[in-house]
Amino acid sequence: MAVATARTISLQGATGYLIDVQVDLSQGVVKTAMVGRPDASISEARDRCRAAVTNSGFDWPATRRVTILLSPADLPKRGPHFDLAIAVATLSAAGKVPPGALAGVVFIGELTLDGRLRSVPGVLPMTMSASNRGIRCVVVPEPQADEAALVPGMTVLGVRSLAQVVAELNGQEIPVAPPVEPLASGPLLSWRGDERIADLDMRDVLGMADARYALEVAAAGGHHLMLSGPKGAGKTTLAERITSLLPDLTLEESLELSAIYSLAGCLPPDQTMITRPPFRAPHHSASRASLLGGGSGRVRPGEVSRAHTGTLFLDEFPLFNADIIEALRQPLESGEITIARGEESATFPARSMFVIACNPCPCGDYHPTNRDNRCTCAEVKRREYRRRISGPIADRIDITRHIEPVRPYEMFDPLGRPEPSAEVRRRVTAARLAQSQRYAGTAWRLNADVAGPALRKSWPLTDEADRHLTERVYSGELTRRGATRVHRLAWTVADLAGVGVPGMRELDVALRLRTGEPMSVATLETARAG
Amino acid sequence: MTERVARAALSRLSEPGDTRLSTLVGTLGAAKVYALLRDEEDVAGVSTDVATRLRGLDPERELEAAGARGIRFICPGDAEWPGWLSDLDHAEPLQGRGGAPLGLWARGPLSLAEVCRSSAAVVGSRSATTYGTAVAADIAAYLANSGVGVVSGAAFGIDQAAHRGALATKGQTVAVLACGVDRPYPAAHKNLLDYIVDVGLVVSELPPGCSPTRLRFLSRNRVIAALTQGTVIVEAAVRSGALNTAGWALRLNRQVMGVPGPVTSAPSEGVHHLIRTRDASLVTRGEDVLELLSPVGSFLTPDARGPDRPRDALTEREQRVLDAVPLFRGASPGSIARTAGLAVPDVREVLTRMRGKSLVEGADDLWRLAGQ
Repeated sequence: MAVATARTISLQGATGYLIDVQVDLSQGVVKTAMVGRPDASISEARDRCRAAVTNSGFDWPATRRVTILLSPADLPKRGPHFDLAIAVATLSAAGKVPPGALAGVVFIGELTLDGRLRSVPGVLPMTMSASNRGIRCVVVPEPQADEAALVPGMTVLGVRSLAQVVAELNGQEIPVAPPVEPLASGPLLSWRGDERIADLDMRDVLGMADARYALEVAAAGGHHLMLSGPKGAGKTTLAERITSLLPDLTLEESLELSAIYSLAGCLPPDQTMITRPPFRAPHHSASRASLLGGGSGRVRPGEVSRAHTGTLFLDEFPLFNADIIEALRQPLESGEITIARGEESATFPARSMFVIACNPCPCGDYHPTNRDNRCTCAEVKRREYRRRISGPIADRIDITRHIEPVRPYEMFDPLGRPEPSAEVRRRVTAARLAQSQRYAGTAWRLNADVAGPALRKSWPLTDEADRHLTERVYSGELTRRGATRVHRLAWTVADLAGVGVPGMRELDVALRLRTGEPMSVATLETARAG
Repeated sequence: MTERVARAALSRLSEPGDTRLSTLVGTLGAAKVYALLRDEEDVAGVSTDVATRLRGLDPERELEAAGARGIRFICPGDAEWPGWLSDLDHAEPLQGRGGAPLGLWARGPLSLAEVCRSSAAVVGSRSATTYGTAVAADIAAYLANSGVGVVSGAAFGIDQAAHRGALATKGQTVAVLACGVDRPYPAAHKNLLDYIVDVGLVVSELPPGCSPTRLRFLSRNRVIAALTQGTVIVEAAVRSGALNTAGWALRLNRQVMGVPGPVTSAPSEGVHHLIRTRDASLVTRGEDVLELLSPVGSFLTPDARGPDRPRDALTEREQRVLDAVPLFRGASPGSIARTAGLAVPDVREVLTRMRGKSLVEGADDLWRLAGQ
């Protein structure tokens, strides 16, 4: 019986499916047939594999009928990384590799015509999903072995060519082969892109005590934040510094994020693990696919997913396309995004902190609380501009802050010493630790993630505070969702202050954060002293 | 014993705002009162109260020791004694306290009388919001920049914002404490007080070393109100020390000014009450305060008004015609006349006139608004 099975992984979004590549060699019309819903890039594998096998010094079964089945047959399959599994299965069916050697191994890699391997995007998520299916050994292109090795308990074989794979499976001496190019190329120009964000510090931000505290709470609990204010007031200045308040990623977060980067094919070549929380700031002209995910062919994660575990900064939010704004509802609420098209649908994690910045009007000078505003927009235009942030979106934003331009007295205050980021980060880290202890054993990490019913049941406010919050809902000041969000905020305020259960004080702070009312000075001073 | 040493001694013996002592000193003189008390002669029931404090009192040495630490004692007769503090002697006591201070202990380079000759108190709630502190600092900065001294109590919230606003413009500021001027109270404001000692003035009725008590805060408020020409209240809840200061300012016929806040905000309730009962004038910025403090008519803030528009100057008939002229597609004077409800010749005449003002454009039979 000339049949053999090798396994590989097919990704749909961040979900991996174990695929059996079965090759049957039999009598009949000489032909190589591929069945099981391959896409164009896999159909091409037939030709690539044939050349690669031949050029690696083996014989392609050219006098037989070769049937290649990718099963389960109902899943659409994409990507060039099936090559290695197809070639290995074919060689095994032809008796060049013992069938037993293929069991329990997943093969990932694209082949070149001369039998060498090429790197493919998504090795980390594929390995993670293989691991979930009980696979303990993967074969990947050599430069990506480090990436795959991040998955605990996985034996990783980094190889350079098909000949090396066959030798390995036969237990023979590994032949030499030229090294494989890594997937991503180094940056063409060394501009100060990402490093610029890493250098920013809250120490350089004068005044804005309210907004600083809002940023701290957002960072501690992962809450979405909207900063409004006239142009030049410092919205971007603040938003860019939010990363400096966040602690390093936990191992789990780091794996998830690295998997997303791997899927997007943008894992830096000299770095297999992303350890710092990402900061993504797509421009408002960005396309739907680049922002939310998609693209032609394979579904790629978009900016919302690349900001997972970090910050997604949407400057000039009302200028984004209306349908993109509405599509953000899902990640805002549930922390994931589903891209559905035709017969496939891909889901990516997108649990990031949304920081939304908007001007108060198209010209950016309108200033409801400042008589010196020089806005030239008609009221109609202002309304139109504000309406772009629809009610449902605004309802999903936890914290609203209006930013006033720095006042002269703040600039020259001889006693004003803006707190450096490291100090704030210390408090944020402590608050996050309290949360991880509280939510240990659940699917949640931060207060912003916790589902409403569970929150009310297991982690309620004090009775008095709860009554007060419920009254706000009955009087129509808050929606039910709004109340849940205030409840979560109150927990973060409590975590920052080291309070066991959020009470009236924490609730008051949370309500102020949500409604945009000015903060009480005592809150800010205790926060700093704590 | 000089009058000055006696006053210093009495300030150590008595609690601030003791009207019995200020009256006695007013009639007998401080030296005499002190001599009587020292000889344990009862005067107006004071001596039994102060007996425990008399022991070991050595006012001369105390003044010397204070001087060595940069603390001076200011009293009537000194060049820097603000004479208008005697207004307190004529004001009705409030909650049992009143009367001019016997003297003030001071630290800092400024002359008290000179700073306070033109000065305003900016006070308010300790549990302030950032709205309140921003407005207080803004007003203080404006006043200090205009040469008006800013007096406050160095407390949390509004007080510290007022001092810092004044300091930011390198202006003059005075902190009046309810404890000895050598004690940083509240402790968190040590930096602020140190800074004010370097460039401004920290004063207190209480001799060095004294600690703050609830009653001393109330007595302190009367000094803040009396030192200045007016008191600005920014954010005071219904039970707030700032309202006590406002009460003193009212008694002393000083200006009382209130900065409103959101009507839903608890820390602004006290201020709103003051404004509603017409005890305080509503102020929203430094200019308003300066107008109220300056001699009548010498500093007037312009009334808020929008920009002038060409239509403002039109007569009622002209406006009716203008309202009837279409935006884009021209209309005949006849149709405009019908819409406006006026006679055709009048309309023609008005249209021609308004064309001169570039409000409409057109010729004999087609008119529309200009600049569309």
